[in-house]
Amino acid sequence: MDTTTPTKQSSPPTDWSPEVEELRRRRADAERLGGSDAVAKHHERGRLTIRERIASLVDAGSFQEVGKLTGTGHYDAHGALKSVTPAPYVMGLAQIDARPIALGGEDFTIRGGTSWSGDRKKGGQGGFVEDLACEYRIPLVNLIDGSGGSVTSIHRRGHAVFPGVHGFERSVALMSQVPVVSAVLGTAAGGPAGRAILSHFTVMVKETAQVFAAGPPVVQRSLGQAITKEELGGAHLAVDTAGTIDNAVADEASCFAMVRRFLSYMPQNVWELPPRVACGDPVDRCEDALLRIVPRDRRKPYNMRKLVELVVDRDSTFEIQPTFGKAVITALARIDGNVVGVVANNPMVYGGAMDVKAARKQTHFIELCDCFHIPLVFLVDVPGFMVGRDAEAAATLREGMRSVYVALQASVPMYTVVIRKCYGMAGMGTTDKNGLDFKIAWPSAEWGSLPIEGGVAAAFRRDIEKHPDPKAREAEIEAELRALASPFRTAEAFGVEDIIDPRETRPYLCRLINAAQGKLRTTLGRKAKYGVRP
Amino acid sequence: MALYEVKAEMTGSVWKIVTAAGETVAPGDAIMILESMKMEIPVIAEDGGTVQEILVEEGASVSEGQVVARLEA
Repeated sequence: MDTTTPTKQSSPPTDWSPEVEELRRRRADAERLGGSDAVAKHHERGRLTIRERIASLVDAGSFQEVGKLTGTGHYDAHGALKSVTPAPYVMGLAQIDARPIALGGEDFTIRGGTSWSGDRKKGGQGGFVEDLACEYRIPLVNLIDGSGGSVTSIHRRGHAVFPGVHGFERSVALMSQVPVVSAVLGTAAGGPAGRAILSHFTVMVKETAQVFAAGPPVVQRSLGQAITKEELGGAHLAVDTAGTIDNAVADEASCFAMVRRFLSYMPQNVWELPPRVACGDPVDRCEDALLRIVPRDRRKPYNMRKLVELVVDRDSTFEIQPTFGKAVITALARIDGNVVGVVANNPMVYGGAMDVKAARKQTHFIELCDCFHIPLVFLVDVPGFMVGRDAEAAATLREGMRSVYVALQASVPMYTVVIRKCYGMAGMGTTDKNGLDFKIAWPSAEWGSLPIEGGVAAAFRRDIEKHPDPKAREAEIEAELRALASPFRTAEAFGVEDIIDPRETRPYLCRLINAAQGKLRTTLGRKAKYGVRP
Repeated sequence: MALYEVKAEMTGSVWKIVTAAGETVAPGDAIMILESMKMEIPVIAEDGGTVQEILVEEGASVSEGQVVARLEA
């Protein structure tokens, strides 16, 4: 195909200006996306175009587009270019906080961002942008706004494509090599929805974004259910209820700010350490509030989020999945400028007991931190796995043991700080059994295979029953056992490595995490995982 | 003035009701306290307002997501 534009000049050109002029025209067509009408309609839906999205996400002027000429050319009878309809995917290299990333996203203004492929795929699922992230070992950011495959491709190809022919194998490989972030910015179904899930961190915009395996028309036909796309895959369902997507934000600007924030805690790849920043917060800051935060009455909960903030560097907390599995809090944070992952049980929700959602959340977070060599700090107040028929029916035991399994397989340094309760298998899952197993406790700490008050009635049933005042006898045994359960007695036996004044938590952790940097530096790379997760 | 529902965030039993219909509560105040997993868990009125109706009694079992009170903010 002749791609040069015939010129009206009578004498032949002496340089390459005509071609450069054609290049300018082709680039201008790419900038126009699906045309002004389609762009206006897209804006009316409260959404930015892919080019506006990239511009507001990355460092100013840092976007180096790749494949801008890709598309479908339209020519006149003489083979002269009339226009180019760009491929519905824009991608390239850019920088976030002066560090290179690969990024790309569907252009919804062209055929609804449905998948497109020329000789080589640009991105979406696999494609050049994912090869770029993999080969250069740089993070990948997906800006997802596409409805995936279309049945019309059967027409074009003359056959139906076997599922998974293109792309996902690369997406899977990236999960053990570079940070992958997906922002869901429109209605994502099928492939693009699946692509979003194959990420280390996902975020979606409330109201303008939805995500599901299949949308309302398919649901209507398959199940006869009439449901809106917001009910089926809006943030309330996908984030708060299902935990399919990690975090929800109010608008696209907040979404890009959150992507940048997440990446600020991440290394460029698993062969590098996460970036350490200068810490303006004194390492010896000992907050008096920590001495009072845990009520002496064991039935009274307290604000674990506040506790976390009193310990880590000021304003350094970034919570992952704040609205899902709320019995546990998972947050990236910094301690003396070093990135850490904080796993803190939340006594305000089920007394901090691990339910199936909290277990899933904790499992993912431990894997995320282990993958990117981020030390874990457990702030423990867990009475055990959630109990009851509903909890058993939801497979809490299995999902809880998965979380214990990944904790015991993880090789990143972990620190266990027992704030109050540390019981049973859920308690075991907060310790570094694969490493130094360094456990420190507050004076409010208590532990065991199960809480005393739950165990006394069963273990001493005959003793209690034959007593003239069974209630009094039960209380007596409880008091007796509780005295023996003092954390100081375990510390005497070196069953816990230290008990600290709660105010010393920050300086203690700063020293431990600084001391672990040498191990972290010398154990970089991909994590080999063997076995079958239960 | 808008009526809104307050839901129990978790399964448990109503241990103590600390407000009554007609009372005004500030944002973040507890309306009642549930007992769940041997802990006293407050049910919070996020936006505050006037309590219109308490829908449960002390000792009653509640399930996750159950509406336990109506407020007008």
